[in-house]
Amino acid sequence: MLDYVGLEADLSAEEKLIRDTAREFVAEEVAPDIADHYEAGTFPTDIISEMGELGFYAPNLEGYGSPNVSERAYGLLMQELEACDSGLRSMASVQGALVMYPIHAFGSEAQKEEWLPALGQGEAVGCFGLTEPEHGSNPSGMETRAERDSAEGTSADPSEVVASEDADGFVLNGEKTWITNSPIADVAVVWAKLTSDDGSPVRGFLVETDRDGVETPKIEDKLSMRASVTGGIVLDDVRVPEENILPDVTGMKGPLSCLTQARYGIAWGAVGAARDCFETAREYQTDREQFGGPIARFQIQQEKFAEMATQITLAQLLAYRLADLKERGDLRPQQVSMAKRNNVRMARDQARVAREMLGGNGITTDYSPMRHLSNLETVYTYEGTHDIHSLILGEDLTGLSAFS
Amino acid sequence: MKILVTVKEVAEAADDFEIEGTDIGEQYLEYDLNEWDDYAIEAAVQLSETYGDIEVVSATIGPERSEETIRMALAKGVDRAIRVWDDDIAAADLDVAAKTRLFAAVVDEEEPDLVLSGVQAADDGFGATGVSVADEIGFDWAAVVNHLDTEDDLSTAHVHRELEGGIEELTDVDLPAVLTIQTGLNEPRYASLRGIRQAQSKEIAAFGLADLGLDADAVDSPISRTGMYEPETESDATYFDGAADEQAAQLADVLREKGVVSE
Repeated sequence: MLDYVGLEADLSAEEKLIRDTAREFVAEEVAPDIADHYEAGTFPTDIISEMGELGFYAPNLEGYGSPNVSERAYGLLMQELEACDSGLRSMASVQGALVMYPIHAFGSEAQKEEWLPALGQGEAVGCFGLTEPEHGSNPSGMETRAERDSAEGTSADPSEVVASEDADGFVLNGEKTWITNSPIADVAVVWAKLTSDDGSPVRGFLVETDRDGVETPKIEDKLSMRASVTGGIVLDDVRVPEENILPDVTGMKGPLSCLTQARYGIAWGAVGAARDCFETAREYQTDREQFGGPIARFQIQQEKFAEMATQITLAQLLAYRLADLKERGDLRPQQVSMAKRNNVRMARDQARVAREMLGGNGITTDYSPMRHLSNLETVYTYEGTHDIHSLILGEDLTGLSAFS
Repeated sequence: MKILVTVKEVAEAADDFEIEGTDIGEQYLEYDLNEWDDYAIEAAVQLSETYGDIEVVSATIGPERSEETIRMALAKGVDRAIRVWDDDIAAADLDVAAKTRLFAAVVDEEEPDLVLSGVQAADDGFGATGVSVADEIGFDWAAVVNHLDTEDDLSTAHVHRELEGGIEELTDVDLPAVLTIQTGLNEPRYASLRGIRQAQSKEIAAFGLADLGLDADAVDSPISRTGMYEPETESDATYFDGAADEQAAQLADVLREKGVVSE
């Protein structure tokens, strides 16, 4: 794939092997059927555990069975997954950055031991509940609430002795939406305001989806990111025990720090989608003949190749720089915002150009660019919309917040 | 117990390439693990996982570049690797006999109980090295193995050999033995990220001719490549149109005309 300034030549042997393995796995196990899944609106669930066995979920974490690879290797992995389909990368992003990361960073020892190996192996699927129907770009306005619960209040019936073991737990109520994987998840990281505490701070809860009062309805009829399962999480008096609260974080920095991790992966993944579009267009145009020769010989097409390759290369450079900053612990969330904002916009723009370069054939599922283009509408909007990232950068650059 | 897997890094030419001298131009080549060897590695690693206490060692004749490919084998579960190379080997045109002498020397050094090799290499495709090594070291052998079972004490391998015309031969081979592995024997795994990490700290021992008790004569060959050209491809395909029965009738006419079948 396009690597115009030879960044991949400088990868370590380990990083090259990770890239090659991911590329091979995707080409052989996922790519042949991805257009069918896209059309059917299904995720290839049989690869969830395969990806786990290969270590594709949060491989950059330390311990609990994680291979602990470099941040760049993690980025390369996201790039290869999204070169296939944004839905595939989203699966790995959610499982790794949005579910395993908060458990790893803020969870108790027992939570880590219970969930990290199972999620890492793909034996369990997780989802991340932050967005609500009325609170998208401003999640701090969330209405989902948790209250401390005591055994006396609920177990009037003496036969519910077992339930009383959950004494000093919490009761959750509220609704989350646009939750990747919620219909197939075993556990949800739910962010809620703990109203029984002073100031109603935002706290994270691990909510097993088979608990009474939990529903995870699927969102149908998406026109984008179709090879990815999306749903809601409806919480109706859901009781969770005390040990299900994430003990080590309070406030919005909990969910926001997860999003920084995921957006880092998106900044890399978008480059993968764009590279796939580029290669598809290049292959098509050097092969397709009109007016007595390959259409890639026309200047009007060559200008598109030049611009596409340049934009991809610039985005790629930004992703590589982010990896270095992240590896040494200097990466700021605003820098991730810049990369997410730029790279996804770039991929979305270039996917459209690539689609155009395929002529009429480009509108079928036989070619990837229009699928990428449609997927990238979601990526442009989720994990902080493009515009919200503009405002994050605006605040960082001027010191003046547009939100307040 | 020890299993030695011979592994080759093979060259793959780009769709459009040019011949320079007696070889394909280096800029048109990409290198990868030989497909058949991937199945041999998987067979060895599966045996080691089934029985435990089996060391799997890979042996490669190849330049430093091939270490990238060897690491992939290590990432898939090979315990350690040997790479044979030096200036004399680099200067030689390696034929089957020369490779046989090198691998035989590695076998002397390592004393494996079982040697697995791919049936053939995807680039030069001689398909002879495995059996030739067996002959040199005096092991029993079975070529083109597409099914492998072992006695619990690993004294005997029960193998299916793929012969021409869809015939399979069922044979028992007593260990120590050399088996050349056919594709389809198993389903080679992908290297996991954990395996890839672990592979970075596994040993790749570099051996030259002198380390193996050999000298430059060992890679001397009476065979030399005198030329390389792309054969003219003649396109002689006939397309039949129409419904299945119409196509079948046209095909039957052609077969009769060519004398493949009688009236």
